[in-house]
Amino acid sequence: MKVLVLNCGSSSIKYQLIETEVGEVLAKGQIERIGMSSAVLTHQPKDKEQIRIVGEILDHSIAMEYVIAVLLSPNHGVLTNKNEIDAVGHRVVHGGETFSGSVLITDEVLKALKDNIELAPLHNPPNLNGIAAAKEHLPNIPQCGVFDTAFHAQMPPHAFLYGIPFKLYKRYKIRRYGFHGTSHRFVSERAAAIIGKPLEELKIITAHLGNGGSMAAIKYGKSIDTTMGFTPLEGLLMGTRSGDLDPSIITYVMGKEELSISEVNTMLNKHSGLAGISGESSDMREIEQAVKEGDKKANYAFDVFNYRIKKYVGAYSAAMNGVDAIVFTGGIGENSPTVRNAVCSEMDFLGIKLDPELNENPTGEAIISSSNSNVKVLRIPTNEELVIAMDTKEIVEEHKK
Amino acid sequence: MENDKLKLEDLLNDSSHNENAAQFEYVAIIGAGIMGQGIAQTVAAAGIDTVIIEKDEHHLDEAKKQMENRMNHEIERWAMTESEKKAILGRINWQLDIDEASECDLIIEAIVENYQLKRILFKKLDEIADPDTILVSNTSTLSLTNIAQVTNRKDKIIGMHFLNPVPKVPLVELVKGMDTSDETVAKTKEFAQKIGKTAIEVYEYPGFVTTRAIVPLLNEAMHILLEGIASAKDIDTAMKLGYNFPMGPLELADSMGLEEVLTWMEQLYKTLGEPRYRPCPLLRKYVRERKLGKKTGEGFFKYDTDGHIIHKD
Repeated sequence: MKVLVLNCGSSSIKYQLIETEVGEVLAKGQIERIGMSSAVLTHQPKDKEQIRIVGEILDHSIAMEYVIAVLLSPNHGVLTNKNEIDAVGHRVVHGGETFSGSVLITDEVLKALKDNIELAPLHNPPNLNGIAAAKEHLPNIPQCGVFDTAFHAQMPPHAFLYGIPFKLYKRYKIRRYGFHGTSHRFVSERAAAIIGKPLEELKIITAHLGNGGSMAAIKYGKSIDTTMGFTPLEGLLMGTRSGDLDPSIITYVMGKEELSISEVNTMLNKHSGLAGISGESSDMREIEQAVKEGDKKANYAFDVFNYRIKKYVGAYSAAMNGVDAIVFTGGIGENSPTVRNAVCSEMDFLGIKLDPELNENPTGEAIISSSNSNVKVLRIPTNEELVIAMDTKEIVEEHKK
Repeated sequence: MENDKLKLEDLLNDSSHNENAAQFEYVAIIGAGIMGQGIAQTVAAAGIDTVIIEKDEHHLDEAKKQMENRMNHEIERWAMTESEKKAILGRINWQLDIDEASECDLIIEAIVENYQLKRILFKKLDEIADPDTILVSNTSTLSLTNIAQVTNRKDKIIGMHFLNPVPKVPLVELVKGMDTSDETVAKTKEFAQKIGKTAIEVYEYPGFVTTRAIVPLLNEAMHILLEGIASAKDIDTAMKLGYNFPMGPLELADSMGLEEVLTWMEQLYKTLGEPRYRPCPLLRKYVRERKLGKKTGEGFFKYDTDGHIIHKD
């Protein structure tokens, strides 16, 4: 089955056309700067040269038209007829409490998604625009939604409730939702396969460390806790996001610095994290370089980043009464041996021992702990698009029956 | 890159799908003063291409510098990011040629409050702009109905009264002249929403809602001071704590500029004719002494260069 996977942001659409039988990417690309006169389409067909086109793309509907056109283009395309697309799979950021798994998008689902806009005002509207655009240009082709929050939807109340008046949960659905669910789910499933044990028997801690980062405690295949909360701001230190902090700091700083609500949001989301502490960069590669050069503040940033991950490894090991595997994924998790080493060092009490060599040069999906480590440490590149494609295929096939 | 020569249109058979696109893709701001800059920054921040048109190179360069400085200040206090600043500046086109406005879907005038100059400008804009284009004035004192008379599109003239600092105040007053059509109001409202402002509708009348309600209140606070009832600091504290004003009335007058407040009181007094709009003698005295508030470092309070009150303990 050929599934078109779409990830629609406010001014971008990322797409992959995936043949699900073999999990192969036939073409992938993205449109950036939607809404501006100089939108850019980058398209990479399999085994062909990448192309880049600049022009005016005013909205998601027109962008969608171009995505289909480039997939059909005689020179750069991979399809001859748009009906060859069997289904469309959308990444949707926030499923709220409504969705605990991927779904076929129906009118009712669309209504529920609209009801969730308040919870993800930045992300869900463009997701909805993308769904509308795909419906418009690919009518009669089934569409599915795969939610970032779904994998965490079955967390127990003691993990998802905050210590604030219960009425606020009832009134505004303020609770922990968690994000990156598709990634946590994918790498935990892969980890079980690599270790060679059923997922249902494993206690796994996954760390998705990208520009945004989160960890999840996955007990017997279910996410029982995760570091991101009501929004993707909580938990780990990130590129520009603060992660966990004492909530009083917010009101204190607002008073001292005369910041408005939206300004303090910008401060916490865009001026904090690695960038905020180091004053240098939000990019872990640059932080590591600065650490090598003896930069003190970069060193603080690096240490806070790793220390917090380590703390959560401890917390989640306790929450699950043990841990069998730790998985690193995401840009930093996959590519920084230094971070993995810093997180896993002096953790022998838990039975964690990295193999320095394997950690330094892992290839593809790899176990990087030493053979006598009780806890397996793995490095697994994430592949959210593949999960979206496979879920979509499954739902569509189920639906056809 | 060779592939850059490829046009998007080449991918599709036709390129006629832009018809239902958003109405406001390119907006002109005439006048690069503090209001013009603020409006341009707000429009560009909403992702709309913007052109600022000024009469000479010097004013244009100054405006560019001022806008950049203000945004740098916002970045320093963590209220904005470097990339947001770049995106905003990238969407602003700085121009001396008024004809550039003919390319725009909406034209906002923000030049000095001079009736003759505005009439000349609107006549010119009426000639060069597409007949369907709405012409907006940022005037807070002059009659839109009168300005509209020089054009052939009286129904498409409307006022948008922004408050300073424009990027931070989420309100705009839509000012309807005698001939402003409902369609113009609706479209302008849509535009206001697009740039993140809540619009309220007012009829053309001195002071609209905001100025009419606040300026006499500032004047009253000055009378309280003049009559020796309370100190300036206590008056402001009373209103801040008692009625949740973010800033006391005297400090607010200082930050608006006392000559501005005086002009307003005189305008209201003159046009509405009621004694309650008579400017407080203390206000006249300060303006005469060129103590104009924050911008001169002294008004009802003394200020440091950052505009913070210097408290004498």
